[in-house]
Amino acid sequence: MRSIIRLVWFDLKHELSPPVWIIFEWAGFALQLYIYGALISQLVTTMTDYLQFYAVGFVVMMTFEIGSHTGRHFVEHAHEGRLPYLLSLPIPRWKLFLAQALQGGTELALMITLPLVVTLAVIGNFTLISVAAAVGTLFWLGFGVAGLMLGLSFIAFKSSDVYSAIVSALSTLIIRFSTVLYPFIFLPPSYASAAFFSPLTYGADLVRLFLGFDPGILLDPRYAVAALAALAVSTLGLGVFLLQRLVEGVKSG
Amino acid sequence: MKELSRILQLARNDFSYFFRTKWLMAVLLSLHLSDMLVVALVYGKLMSFNYFRFFVPAVVVMGLFSASLDTGRRIWLAIREGVIQYYLSLPISTFGVVAAYLLAGGLASIVYSTSLLLIALLVLPAQAVWSTFAILPFLFVLAMGLAGIAATLAALASTHGEYFFAYQQMVQVTLLALSTVYYPIETIRSYLPSFIVPAVAANPLSLAAEAIRQFAFEGAPIQPSFLLSMILMGVPFALLGASAYAMVLRNLRVKGKL
Repeated sequence: MRSIIRLVWFDLKHELSPPVWIIFEWAGFALQLYIYGALISQLVTTMTDYLQFYAVGFVVMMTFEIGSHTGRHFVEHAHEGRLPYLLSLPIPRWKLFLAQALQGGTELALMITLPLVVTLAVIGNFTLISVAAAVGTLFWLGFGVAGLMLGLSFIAFKSSDVYSAIVSALSTLIIRFSTVLYPFIFLPPSYASAAFFSPLTYGADLVRLFLGFDPGILLDPRYAVAALAALAVSTLGLGVFLLQRLVEGVKSG
Repeated sequence: MKELSRILQLARNDFSYFFRTKWLMAVLLSLHLSDMLVVALVYGKLMSFNYFRFFVPAVVVMGLFSASLDTGRRIWLAIREGVIQYYLSLPISTFGVVAAYLLAGGLASIVYSTSLLLIALLVLPAQAVWSTFAILPFLFVLAMGLAGIAATLAALASTHGEYFFAYQQMVQVTLLALSTVYYPIETIRSYLPSFIVPAVAANPLSLAAEAIRQFAFEGAPIQPSFLLSMILMGVPFALLGASAYAMVLRNLRVKGKL
């Protein structure tokens, strides 16, 4: 366990001394919520309180960005030649994978704690159980997204530049074609079918359901639970497989 | 004359680097096209006014802004990777290097945003297409000003390189949020304190968005005073960025490091 903690701290200490990134993330959230979100909600007339809807959506977006960052970081490390060093350490690969997952989880916890507290304050109506369920969903989504980015790393075997391009473009489309910013019922039919493929649609709607939003504007929670479970299990499984068998194939330099 | 030709050569090199960066192109195009064709359309259904008509011209400005800000990343990268040491060894003045970067930043922004503008013209009927091309030179000056802001950030972060992206993100979010890119000035006036409203109206992004909306898409006659205000906002920022970057280069030339 000590070696796992040491590995987690090895990466995390750069972000915590000083914690500039975390403070900037929080400041960015405050600006987005209290200026952009508040002003856009003045313009939205078809929903009673769009600010609440947007606040949850923004926390889900942050979760996606942090999960995505964890997965991509791992591949970038491979290209920068840091991964071969980690692989040469006297620790089994499952520990290395666990350390990456824990690091991602810790980063996620540090980054979204304050935004989530503010979001809960904006919503106002919640219970301890609903908050715990929402937090659980966010972490499950974060692990799934990190696994997805790791799973796509096979592209990096050919070219890291193409990997960065595909993953960056995909991230934008996953957010736009989802229910993070707008309810599913307002999506045109052609966009709605694309939204079914975005994990954020299920993550955002499930978190909103737990936080007491009108189920009429959300997707069926059974689909959301099934989709998020399938995403996390399949992509993390693929990540474990890649780390065990294929990771040496990533080109350095 | 030789100096000018070298400035143009260096600017061409930096300009082509912007378009050759695959991941950047993927991010910018996916972001702006999805903003234009997805976000604008869906938000339009949530609002009681034609948000698509309001927001599509603003996406062109967002493209102009993002491309301008990338000048800062290229300066930051040149400092970090030592390319700048090579540039300083070339037979070109410090001023020439600075001018080349700002010129390339402005040009890359205008080329990239013009491509978005052409797409905007396809999806949204414009009342005065020729006015669009008439305001492009003024948008270029504004883009150089925005590139100047990016250069200032890169200069500020030259000794703490890793903070550059944090500065850039904060400036980007703040300037966009406090502009009329996403919402009309009336909404801002009704929600934000009154002392902020003039700053929002004078924001370079608000000026660019209003120019494209009014003169190109609404077909209002071009007002010379409005175009003058675009120049008056663009030039000081370009000069600020040029001074900050020149100062960094001078330190580098004298001390050999930052």
